Amino acid sequence: MKYSLLKIIHVTGLTFLEPIVRLCYGEEPALQLKKIGRFIVVPVVAVLVFVGIWNWGGPQLKTKSGEVPTPGVVAEAFRGVFQFFVRENTKEDDYILTGETRQAELVRVEQRLNDLAALKQSADARVAELEIGRDEFLAKTVGPVQKELNDLSEEQTSQEKAMLDAIKQTAAGITEKSSTTDREALIAAMVKYNGLKKVNNEKLKRIQEKLTNISSVKYQPYLDALKQQTNVVEEIIFLEKRKELLTVGNRESKVAQSEADLERLKSEFATATGAQTLGLANRIVKTEERLQTMEKSAYAKPWTLPLQTLRSLACVFTGFVLATMIAVPIGILCGLSSTFMAAVTPFIAMFKPVSPIVWLPIALIIVGGLIPDPDNHWLLHVLEHLPLIGWMKINPAFIASAVTVALCSLWPTLVNTALGVASIDKDHMNVARVLRLGFTRRLVSIVIPSAMPLIFAGMRISLGVGWMVLIAAELLASSEGIGKFVWDMFNNGSSATFAQMFVVVFVVGVIGFLLDRIMIILQRLVSFDGAPAAI
Amino acid sequence: MLSLSEKRYVEIHNVTKAYPNPRGEDVVVVDGFNLIMPKGEFVSIIGHSGCGKSTVLTMVAGLNSITSGGVVVDGREISEAGPDRAVVFQSPCLLPWMTAFENVLLGVKNVYPHATKQQRADIVSHYLQLVGLGDSMHRYPRELSGGMQQRVGIARALALRPKMLLLDEPFGRLDSLTRMELQDVILEILAEEQITTMLVTHDVDEAIYMSDRIVMMTNGPRARVGEILAIPIPRIRKRDEVLEHPDYYRYRGHLISFLEGRAHSHPGRKRTPEYEDTCHAVASYEDTSHDIPIHFETGIATCDLISSGTHAGNE
Repeated sequence: MKYSLLKIIHVTGLTFLEPIVRLCYGEEPALQLKKIGRFIVVPVVAVLVFVGIWNWGGPQLKTKSGEVPTPGVVAEAFRGVFQFFVRENTKEDDYILTGETRQAELVRVEQRLNDLAALKQSADARVAELEIGRDEFLAKTVGPVQKELNDLSEEQTSQEKAMLDAIKQTAAGITEKSSTTDREALIAAMVKYNGLKKVNNEKLKRIQEKLTNISSVKYQPYLDALKQQTNVVEEIIFLEKRKELLTVGNRESKVAQSEADLERLKSEFATATGAQTLGLANRIVKTEERLQTMEKSAYAKPWTLPLQTLRSLACVFTGFVLATMIAVPIGILCGLSSTFMAAVTPFIAMFKPVSPIVWLPIALIIVGGLIPDPDNHWLLHVLEHLPLIGWMKINPAFIASAVTVALCSLWPTLVNTALGVASIDKDHMNVARVLRLGFTRRLVSIVIPSAMPLIFAGMRISLGVGWMVLIAAELLASSEGIGKFVWDMFNNGSSATFAQMFVVVFVVGVIGFLLDRIMIILQRLVSFDGAPAAI
Repeated sequence: MLSLSEKRYVEIHNVTKAYPNPRGEDVVVVDGFNLIMPKGEFVSIIGHSGCGKSTVLTMVAGLNSITSGGVVVDGREISEAGPDRAVVFQSPCLLPWMTAFENVLLGVKNVYPHATKQQRADIVSHYLQLVGLGDSMHRYPRELSGGMQQRVGIARALALRPKMLLLDEPFGRLDSLTRMELQDVILEILAEEQITTMLVTHDVDEAIYMSDRIVMMTNGPRARVGEILAIPIPRIRKRDEVLEHPDYYRYRGHLISFLEGRAHSHPGRKRTPEYEDTCHAVASYEDTSHDIPIHFETGIATCDLISSGTHAGNE
């Protein structure tokens, strides 16, 4: 048990867990505790320090999308994103519910709505109550400053007015006979007046800034109450929508409605005469058509982050498989033949540094050229009707993103494969020569197995690069996925969406980490010198 | 009795190996190596490290190109490596991603292209059992000890049914007990199979115990056959019998004195013109005779010209 656990830890590379396992089996507790201190406590402390700095530093930075969200706000946003996903799924299910289950669900929704009505009342009351508190709070904090501002402004206005009046008088006093000194005095007075205005404005501005700062200090109880209220209202809106989807908006009832319409039209048609029949016939045909599409229709669900993440994963996987399929054979040829290597080197050198931002538009245009009419292309039709990936609605933008991922990520695999093949143990090649193995057997029995660890090391780097490139590609190509989500949130520009972009940072990071882990495990499993194939 | 072609089963004729050095000049590592082996003979090549004994063996194996000269095995001049000259390498060189069984099978597939799967499997198990690995056939090399790995290497070589077995310091990395075991394993198999064998070693006792003749090589560069010593102890040999053989210490002393003295009779010293002359003389002598005269009656074979030549170098 202990050793198989340690083996799993070793293969997965989660070595920080090792001291815990050893400690559980009572092996050198002092040493294990020291290791736990170093490899678990220290990282945890570092994370806590980071969260602390973030929590303090975030609000210091004010942007047009509000303050930089604190960890708490981001966690809240994460919950929001997930709730949106769950609610949209519920709506989708509601739309196609039929018969008994639909009624049962409706009853539950209505019950909850009743409960919420009471909740909303108390929430409203609490808000109203706290509004007074907030006003008092504002009066206490903002009031004096506001008064100061008002007083100053009044004082300044009268001061300026007096000065302007004096200047006006002087101006009126100037006649044709007035000397140049008088005229210059007027100009000097004007300069003085302007100077005063500027100084006054400065003073006013400073106090106004003070006022903004003070009024931005929020009255927390009120905000909490407001949030409570918003949550209740959101749930009510959600449930109202559900109610609609379970009743009039439901597919079953919509179909029934259309069927009834059709019945009525048909009976009218049976007794109609002359020109009337033409119009009725037309309406009957239209209704029948509508009925057909309606029977298969689904709730028009918006994209949600979890589904976009899955689509991104599918996209990166497609690109990664494509890259591997290109890179491994070419890499093997490169490793086997230095002539072929010489032929391929210029392409590697030239294309490797090209950024995804350049590949993507090219890929978009080429894919667009290959699939000129996406609505009627056989490939996309086939993909749309496949189980598991049909919902992803694979489109040219998806394919272009995958191609971009492939183009950017195939290089590490190619180079590593070539290196792995070229650095095969010379003794092993001698064995092949003595046994006089043919090309295929040499490839299958010796070349590929011995290059496997390096091939997988390359693939691991490729997958990391691909995942990084993909987000940018999706953002540019507007292909539904994490990149598109970020772009939409950026364009939305509210403080809530700002926090959701932070959520994406963690989603991308965690998934990237997991992909890397999976590749490490695969790499260990194919390494002949490492762990045995079975855990 | 051996037929005429079997008497000259392996002919190594004036084999020379030269590598270009960075300045483009040729460095001659082995210069005119001559040897004729009858079928079934066991010959050891002994010499100091780096003298070129492994180079000779790899050239015979076809793993290393021959600069000039030629090797004929069973009437055919060799041009590339092949399963008729099986090699056991110093490191076992097993493919780590295959079991012992699969490692041996790899060669068997090529040598017996028309055999059925079952027949091939039988061949593989036969040879693995022969080397004493009947129980660990399906284990991976990393699960085997160094000695067991080398046994697999021997089985792999023997399973090819080679005309010639080339052993390139096969016990060099093993402890002395394992080494003795493996020496016996090989001798037992050879007693049955009668394969012409060339062993490269620097272990004097191993060479005496296993060989019919021992080729002593002079030090490189320009290494060549210094002397050939015949060991006329009858087979099948037993280790203690060989050790107690009256001539054993004479053979041993002769080999050691060659290695200590005459092999590097010119360490760091420029070759004198006389020495070069004697070398040429040997070369021309060998050219005409295709063999080196051996004094069988004394049990010690010496090449008179070489010994007198090296003495001349010493003086």
